[in-house]
Amino acid sequence: MTWRARIGGRSLASSMASVVLSEAEKVYILHGVQDDLRTDGRGCEDYRGVEVETDVVSNTTGSARVKIGHTDVLVGVKAEMGTPKLERPTEGYLEFFVDCSANATPEFEGRGGEELGTEIAHMLYKIFDNKSSVALESLCILPSEHCWVLYVDVLLLECGGNLFDTISIGVKAALFNTRIPKVRVLEDDEGAKDLELSDDPYDCMRLNVEHVPCIVTLSRIGHRHVVDATLQEEACSLASLLIAVTSKGTLTCMRKIGKGSLDPESIFEMIETGKRVAKFLHVSLQNVLNQEESLGKKRQKIGFLR
Amino acid sequence: MAGLELLSDQGYRVDGRKSGELRKIQARMGVFAQADGSAYMEQGNTKALAVVYGPHEIRGSRAKTLHDRAVVNCQYSMATFSTGERKRRPHGDRTSTEMTMHLKQTFEAAILTQLYPRCQIDIYVQILQADGGNYCTCVNAATLAVIDAGIPMRDYVCASSAGFIEDTPLADLSYVEEASGGPQLALALLPKSDQIALLEMNSRLHEDHLDRVIDAASKACKDVYAVLDQVVRDHLQEVTALIGDRGSA
Amino acid sequence: MRETPLSSCERAFLLQAITDKKRVDGRQTYDYRNIKITFGTEYGCCIVELGKTRVLGQVSCELVAPKMNRPTEGILFFNLELSSMASPAFETGRPSELLVKLNRLLERCLRNSKCIDTESLCVQAGEKVWQIRVDLHLLNHEGNIMDAASIAAVAALCHFRRPDVSVQGEEVTVYSPEERDPVPLSMHHMPICVSFAFFQQGTFLLVDPSEREERVMDGLLVIAMNKHREICTIQSSGGIMLLKEQVLRCSKVAGVKVAEITELIQKALENDRKIRKEGGKFGFAESLPDQKITALKIEKNVVDTSNVKDKAEKIISESQPPSDVVTKPVVRAVGTAQIGEGIENTWGELEEEEDEEEEDEDDDDADIVSTSIESDKVTEKPAKKTSADIVISDSEEEDVVILQPEPQAKASSSQAPEEDQDKSPVRKTPHSKKKKKRSSH
Repeated sequence: MTWRARIGGRSLASSMASVVLSEAEKVYILHGVQDDLRTDGRGCEDYRGVEVETDVVSNTTGSARVKIGHTDVLVGVKAEMGTPKLERPTEGYLEFFVDCSANATPEFEGRGGEELGTEIAHMLYKIFDNKSSVALESLCILPSEHCWVLYVDVLLLECGGNLFDTISIGVKAALFNTRIPKVRVLEDDEGAKDLELSDDPYDCMRLNVEHVPCIVTLSRIGHRHVVDATLQEEACSLASLLIAVTSKGTLTCMRKIGKGSLDPESIFEMIETGKRVAKFLHVSLQNVLNQEESLGKKRQKIGFLR
Repeated sequence: MAGLELLSDQGYRVDGRKSGELRKIQARMGVFAQADGSAYMEQGNTKALAVVYGPHEIRGSRAKTLHDRAVVNCQYSMATFSTGERKRRPHGDRTSTEMTMHLKQTFEAAILTQLYPRCQIDIYVQILQADGGNYCTCVNAATLAVIDAGIPMRDYVCASSAGFIEDTPLADLSYVEEASGGPQLALALLPKSDQIALLEMNSRLHEDHLDRVIDAASKACKDVYAVLDQVVRDHLQEVTALIGDRGSA
Repeated sequence: MRETPLSSCERAFLLQAITDKKRVDGRQTYDYRNIKITFGTEYGCCIVELGKTRVLGQVSCELVAPKMNRPTEGILFFNLELSSMASPAFETGRPSELLVKLNRLLERCLRNSKCIDTESLCVQAGEKVWQIRVDLHLLNHEGNIMDAASIAAVAALCHFRRPDVSVQGEEVTVYSPEERDPVPLSMHHMPICVSFAFFQQGTFLLVDPSEREERVMDGLLVIAMNKHREICTIQSSGGIMLLKEQVLRCSKVAGVKVAEITELIQKALENDRKIRKEGGKFGFAESLPDQKITALKIEKNVVDTSNVKDKAEKIISESQPPSDVVTKPVVRAVGTAQIGEGIENTWGELEEEEDEEEEDEDDDDADIVSTSIESDKVTEKPAKKTSADIVISDSEEEDVVILQPEPQAKASSSQAPEEDQDKSPVRKTPHSKKKKKRSSH
């Protein structure tokens, strides 16, 4: 298997919402993980129940809401016309913005959530910074003049551990849901080009999200690692590994976070686990998205009302 | 946009409502488990999420402590994808700061702050989709969230906007009606005592019509109050049923 | 720098006065302070003085490209600044809440009400339009910044003249003031803000609150109207609860006030226009009053001292001799003593004092009591005390004298009071004691 990886050793911003645990609680969690039994009954490689819903906000080009346990994230994609970057004249591009709202915790009020937000946005830029994640050529309208810029805005509503996974699932679902209107280029006699957006809401272009990677966070607790850690488990783990895996098992980005250190052997183990879990995750996510799509108009939009 | 008729001859507005009708309201309390109180509210296409933390100890500078009352701290922010054109900053610009101050003023009047001296109550409101009546939806959502958090208030705070077109007052304006430039009034009311917690008006309106517009807004607020009250009671029934089952088992 | 906090007694005084329908500066409930509008030498510059609150307004214009979604409209920009000159509480740097509130209110009042015809500011659609910028600076803060700022903005906009412009095909020529007369802005109407301050949970309201009144108010209602009785903006702030009737009443009052103020502005503009036409002197320098005393020295005046001696002798003969001045200290409780009269003693005057009389020294009692105002029980007996018992303790510190309170004195010996000795209970009329004027000082 080919994999391109980048190993970084920065620790995550300390402004992450955290919970204070006593030593006894930490030991309890540790012992449980040793025996492959976590506090809520899951195994080490099990995710909590993931809820995904797309098209939640109607005046965006695409949107999705993902809820894993107590972590709640809303992603909106807005497509706007802009000029392509100088070094890539035949491609459009994506811009990420993460807003950690004060809803999640009062510490994020005002500018408190900016640090964490930029950290997550940085990570998102990295995992999408390769040729195959999103077909950027399809976003081009006129080379060197016009292209689509996709502004992906992530709104963090509730923080219950495992932010990166949730956000990456949300981004993939929102990109899947994006419906970019088709553009026709009309040429005048003088050579002046005019862009015409089609008015038909169904005449739109969809993005191929097959190669969009998802992040899997593996937190090391004691001698074992767990997938999808809750806030309490994150407080027990000293080091975590974030890997971005596509549905085919290709690694696009890898990063280690946390104050502790990781043994190279365990890193390999964690990567294997991560790839296994990610494959499964991608398959189920794609199933759900296809199912939602097939319901079409009949689907009842629930959003937050349930 | 010149040809857009905000009020047709038969008395129907752009979205088919009559002049005194409100948009469809859907609300839900207790959306987030980690916050002390939370509520989600949809008024037509405007969606707002309100979260309340508190009462808790004053965070940050102790200088803000009031010896006999609680401090009400609000923040109003709009998601960057909420408006038609993408917003650069979710909060911190002048309009958001102004809205924050209005929210704070409204809730300081309604919450019984004397019961929690030296404490702080945080109210955070997030607009997920903006389609007119942002402030009013925020206030309504925040009322539900404060009730969900169990903080005592004098009365529900219900807010509604009103406009005036062709000699008819309109209740609950949508974005299209707001952008047309006619007079708009936003009113936050305590329904039982008819007391106005906040009154804000923009654009020109002749003094003689002020009475009717305020009346239309008050009536709309009372209608909103009926809906909110029903939501609270339903939620309470649901919650007691769940607890009751466990208790009897 | 933090603002000096308002003391409780001043606050109580102001609120009590308002309840009695009196204002500290003598105005009535609906009275405005004196408004003075002066224009500078340049067009578009004016200073407005509302009582002592002073705002300077300056209008300037520039040719810029229009906004994308409004290619045929000019751009208006308002900015109010609270300079540190106005009050030590204003600091430069982060905009305070007050500043944001005032700016937003100003924007809504002037921009959303479309008082200026923005279409007329368009020079070339989509290419060049005029950007009008109104800068307001608060020079002195004596209350009611909003009203003064709105008057200044409106007056400055009415006074302003922009350069004349002509368009030929693609070419745009801007004429300087020498070539062609500058053109005034076309204003639809003049919105003026009127502020109402509410006190005692909305029972009392005042128009044009001064700075002290603003500090004790519960809330503020600002109504912006023009002289055609159209309401441009309403904004309620502070934690007050209003009733619909109050709002309607306020709007009626506002209508009257706005008409007066608009007339004032028109007159000032008219005056300025006349003076400029006649070639007289105009500008700020001219508006400073001439006859004001700016020095403390005055000329010597002749004083008539011819009958001073007679007057003095008359006064002396009519007055009575002062009574004996006794300088023994009055002991209230263990370790405290009082010499002279004055404020009520707050040391050691605890429960055991209930029976003790308040004994005072007073001189000049007889002739001064007649002038005292309090008529209730001013039978303040100038009871005189016997000398305090001086107990010398056994300690080494010989100089320490511990004053013990007197046992209940039946009859005071020294001074024979003219009035009856009235053993009135403690601390009932401290006011009357204060009012015994010591004219002998």
